[in-house]
Formats: sequence, structure tokens, C-alpha cells
Amino acid sequence: MADLSLFAGAPPVAGINETLGQWAENFIGVFRQGAETFVGLVTGIIPLLIILLTAVHALIKLIGPERIDRVGEMAGRPGLQYYPIRYLVLPVLAVFFLTNPMAYTMGRFLPERDKPAFYDSAVSFVHPPLGLFPHVNAGELFVWAGIANGIQQLGLPLGDLAVRYFYVGLIVIFMRGIVTETISRIMFARRARGDEPEVTTAGERPAPEGA
Amino acid sequence: MTAINAFLNRIGRGVGGVVGALYQAGRESIDMVIRNVLPFMAFISLIIGVILATGVGEWIADRLTGLASSLGGLLLMSIICALPVLSPLLGPGAVIAQIVGTLIGVEIGQGDIPPQYALPALFAINPQVGCDFIPVGLSLGEAEPETVEVGVPAVLFSRMVTGPAAVVIAYLFSFGLYSGA
Repeated sequence: MADLSLFAGAPPVAGINETLGQWAENFIGVFRQGAETFVGLVTGIIPLLIILLTAVHALIKLIGPERIDRVGEMAGRPGLQYYPIRYLVLPVLAVFFLTNPMAYTMGRFLPERDKPAFYDSAVSFVHPPLGLFPHVNAGELFVWAGIANGIQQLGLPLGDLAVRYFYVGLIVIFMRGIVTETISRIMFARRARGDEPEVTTAGERPAPEGA
Repeated sequence: MTAINAFLNRIGRGVGGVVGALYQAGRESIDMVIRNVLPFMAFISLIIGVILATGVGEWIADRLTGLASSLGGLLLMSIICALPVLSPLLGPGAVIAQIVGTLIGVEIGQGDIPPQYALPALFAINPQVGCDFIPVGLSLGEAEPETVEVGVPAVLFSRMVTGPAAVVIAYLFSFGLYSGA
């Protein structure tokens, strides 16, 4: 390699071509690393995901998603014993059968004052099942798969984490339903006192519309 | 003869229905994968490539491991994500949750964050879920405009409480998870 430095006494530097070559190598290395990751994700996740999605979608079609309407009608009833149905059974069934975002349509069976709480409960369940049932929200798979990928790289099993994610999700959506219902009840009551009593107060409960 | 015809007819319809449902399901899955999953994988792979192949990784690792490898840090993360001002901005498409989750996944894979923090981290990155979508979600449930007016702040305020609480519950449930590792 010819000496390309301009000054005769300058310290020896790597040739321009070598430097450029090194840069190019580093530059393309970034994308090569990305490509490797991409291949890993595609071969590791996509085939199973497609088959699983197909199976569950077919199952839902054969069962008929309109059958959970009856649960929706039951969930709108007043009383303490219907809390778990409203904020546990109904959101889980709605998310599993109708998936994001059609699951929120099940709120139509509930009285107005429970709708925000049901939405909170249902929307919080669109990610916890991803480890077991990715069909509920495959478009947002990486809320789960991002972290799961790291676990997999350590060579640890994913099943335990997926099941625990699901269980904690159940607890969290039930808690969110109750907390949000309490908060919205206070806000409805305050509104009713402040403005015209146009919104239902906490004391009485209208019949669920659509029921 | 008519009985046999009716019988064959019924079988034909039944099989046709099942095959049709399966075929439609396959079409939906492929559609979903091509339209939503693959583009996101490409995008995520590029980010992971940049992180792993450049010095950015160490910079992120320093900050993220501090946050994501202690209960206090995860709580702080969930409180920030649940702020009523921020949560509707962080919500759309769960993009933020997916990116932060992937970053945490990379750090877990490199051994910077202990794997038992995976479960609380799954909730810490996501207290803002659906906060951008409340009016639409409520409208899908045929809610009145008054309900939407109350529902938006009610859900946002509720998240301030239930976001960090979810992290604590997940932390309690992570005992015994990957403890042998």
C-alpha cells in the first residue's frame, strides 16, 4: 500500500481504502446483526403463530362468537356476585372470541355507569394471554415477545412465564374493573350533583339496554 | 332416493361449512402476519441490530438495567407510563410498550437484567394499555357521550393506582420463577 499521507514526517496512519473498508464493514455489520435477528424471529415465531392463529380462528368460527352474548346479558345485572362475571368472565371471553378491538363491543350489554370499568378491564387483557393465545392481539405480539425473546436467549423455558403472565393478567383486570367502577361512580355522582341529574346516580341502576 | 339425496346434501353442506371456516381462518392468519406481524418484526430487528452492533447498547443498558432490575425502578417506570398526561400519548399501537419490552428482552438475553424480573417488567412497560383508545372503545360499547366524558378521566386516574399495583402483584407472583438460573 502506498503511503498516502501528505506530510512526509506524519505518523503512519491506515490507508484510506482500509479505513473506508473498515467503516463499510462496521456499517453493514449493524444490518447483518439485524438480519440475523430477523431470521431468528421469523423462523422461531411465525410458523407456529400462523398455525395457532388458523386453529383458533377456525374454532371461533365454528363455535360462533354470538354465543357469548348471553354472558354479556348476565354481566349487566346488579349485585356483588356479578362482579366477577362483569370484570373477569366477560372480558376474558370477549377478548378471546372477539379479539382486539371488537371485544369492547360487549360493553353494550352493561349499564352506562359500568362501561368505562368494563372497557378498562377488557383492554387490559389484550396482552396477558399473548404467551398462550397470540390470536387475541397478534399485531401487538412484541409486548410479550420482546421480553420473551430475552428469556429464550438464556435457554430458559417460556411456559412458566406465559402462564404466570396470564394469571396475573386475570387478577389485574379484575382489580382494574373494581377500581375504575368506584372512581367513575364517584365522578358520575359528582356530575349529577353539579349539573342536571341527567346521569344515573349511584343509588339506582337502569335496566341494561340491549338486554 | 330422496332420502339419500337429502343425506348427501347435508353432509356436503356440513363439510363445506367446516372447510370454508378453516380456509377463511387461514386467510385471516396469513393476512394478520403479513400486515401486522412481519412489518413489526422487521422494525424490531433493525432496532436490535443497532443496539447489539453499536455502542448504543451499552448506553441503553446502563439506564435500563438501573430501572428494570429492581422493584423500585419498575414501579417508577409504571408510574411514569401511567401519568394521565402521558398515557394517551404512549398508548397508540402499543409501540412504546413493544420497543421498551424488546430493549428489556435484549438486556435479559445478555444477562444484564435478571430473568425473574421479566414478569413485573411485562406489567411495568404497559400501564398505558388502551389509554389512547378510551373514547373509541366506549363507543364500540354503545356508550352515551356523557359516559365517555366521565369514562376517559376515570380510566386515566384509575391507571395511576392500578398500574403500579399490577407491577407489585406481578412481582409477588414472580417468586420462584427462574430462581434456579
